[in-house]
Amino acid sequence: MQRRGPDDEKAALRQPMPTELLLRPNRMRRYLLQRLVQLIVLLLVGSVVDWYLIYLTPGSPVYALLGTNASPSQVRVLKRSLGLDKPLPVQYVTWLNHVLHGNLGSSFISGLQTTTLLAQRVPASLQLVIASFVLGLLVALVLGSLAAIRPRSVVSTLVSAYSSLSLSLPTFWLGIILILIFSVRLHLFPGSSTYIPIWQHPMSGLKAMTLPVASLTFYIGGIMTRFVRAALTDALQEDYIRTARSIGVPNYLVIIKHALRNAMLPIVTVTGLQFGTFVGGTVITESVFQYPGIGTLILASVQQHDYAVLQGTVLLLVAVVAVVNLVVDLTYAYLNPRIRYG
Amino acid sequence: MVDTLIDEGRGLTWGVPHDLSTPRRAPRIARSVTFFIAVGVLALFVILAFIAPLFSNVVYTQHLGEALQAPSLAHPFGTDELGRDILARTIYGSRVSLLTASLATLIALAAGLPIGLAAGFLGRRLDAVLMRSMDLLLAVPAIVLAMTVIAVLGTGTFSAIYAIGIIGVPSIARLSRAGVLAERDRDYVLGTRALGAGRAHILFRTILPNISSPIIAQMAVLAELAVLIQAALSFLGLGTPPPTPTWGQMLSSGQSYLAQAPWYGLFPGVILTITVLSLDIAARRADTNAAKGAG
Repeated sequence: MQRRGPDDEKAALRQPMPTELLLRPNRMRRYLLQRLVQLIVLLLVGSVVDWYLIYLTPGSPVYALLGTNASPSQVRVLKRSLGLDKPLPVQYVTWLNHVLHGNLGSSFISGLQTTTLLAQRVPASLQLVIASFVLGLLVALVLGSLAAIRPRSVVSTLVSAYSSLSLSLPTFWLGIILILIFSVRLHLFPGSSTYIPIWQHPMSGLKAMTLPVASLTFYIGGIMTRFVRAALTDALQEDYIRTARSIGVPNYLVIIKHALRNAMLPIVTVTGLQFGTFVGGTVITESVFQYPGIGTLILASVQQHDYAVLQGTVLLLVAVVAVVNLVVDLTYAYLNPRIRYG
Repeated sequence: MVDTLIDEGRGLTWGVPHDLSTPRRAPRIARSVTFFIAVGVLALFVILAFIAPLFSNVVYTQHLGEALQAPSLAHPFGTDELGRDILARTIYGSRVSLLTASLATLIALAAGLPIGLAAGFLGRRLDAVLMRSMDLLLAVPAIVLAMTVIAVLGTGTFSAIYAIGIIGVPSIARLSRAGVLAERDRDYVLGTRALGAGRAHILFRTILPNISSPIIAQMAVLAELAVLIQAALSFLGLGTPPPTPTWGQMLSSGQSYLAQAPWYGLFPGVILTITVLSLDIAARRADTNAAKGAG
């Protein structure tokens, strides 16, 4: 029986990203338009699913609001006031209209607007994610490069071990180790963090963030190290590297100026596409350290059956991840054929 | 290579890339030794998981007088806040992990494979609809998707398994679709068609055997991630409810007693890491074999 060649598989996996895009602005425009339409369709369908979730929950939102032993007349009154007696499509359009006007509904528990809750939590999560992301990328650039430059060395083996460990030591478990060492034993950092805006109180903000950021950096850095290493290994095998070496460019310049520079495009692309994974890591890290961000908000809304908050938060996350992925794809399509030398 | 890289980023392997520079890693002997250790560890855990119910007495009986005891000969991993033996509970905890890993992976396969085959084989419009829905699933971070599914289904062992299975669907679907697209117009398929084979025969008997190895490799990756996400969910209190022990839930209770009983949180975590590492090594091997078989 005939077997499949690896190149065919790659060809099938490759996204339809025409290389002549740059030469034909019309095509770029059409591609852009096509992707925008795709994004809108994705968000619309996503919003239908997200909106319908609440109807799938045990006992419907009415019972979530009233409790299970509500009388039929109470149920009828509440249904009318929430608009739940109208046909489903009408309900959806009403809901979507509210969402588009920035009204994500309000919490069944606290009565607060979901947008108000998000406004409190988003900056906290952003601070955590940005710090860990920047540090993680730095770790990945250094370790990934070291491993790619000396493929068969001890360093490279250690880097491989690190990227395997970063997966098998999930953030909630690493977080516990860090709390045990640095909080319980050494009393250096608090074991549960509060959100302190780092621009207002740099010192206490740093102290509160150190452990969660360390856990998340370990995770993000591990994933990114694999990509940096692969991209750089790839770049180092190119002809222009051999050319640069043969005309006597010093090794460190070859790596930094030629190889790393060319490897950056796939690295940046993959980083963008991993955004969702990093958000997932943040959700769990926040729960270990009881950090008041989006993750703990989602967890609390699942635990308390606060479906309106869950609905709003998930919708926001889906929109953000989808937009980030689109931007990354478009940037890649735009830059793909040539990388400008500055 | 770069395209593979980008596709990995797109979530083909569920967002977790494998070491893409396999040809240059450790020598073959070292790799096969670690592989056999990993498989040995997994086999041991599977056996322990099967015989664990024999000790369910030890797992569930509380001895409040012996709460939070340090590791000793009688209790090698110490005891928890209710005086239960942590070693026994850790071993018992592997049952939920292994059950989740196998069932969730099967769910992902059962749903993902037909979707991918249909999308790749039946063509345009269906392809677009199916793949856009897969994109939608991929747009939600895995753990958030799992938490949302659990919010709808309620907490429990099987809700978590469904949730984790759903997370795995898009990766299997994409991989099988890509395989079908790559094989569909190749000579041997055309030859089979020329011989008068029906569509079902071509799809299941001719194409499917040729695209199965990357899918099997992906299932190993999914099993690894299922263990991790199951642990994360039970850590968050959204997995299997107590008193059934799970690693995640033991880590979470252990966190409350870090000052008095550090071993409580540490041992289940170490076992979790060993399990995931072993699955990772096995998954990589499957990955490498898939690439080799293709060549």
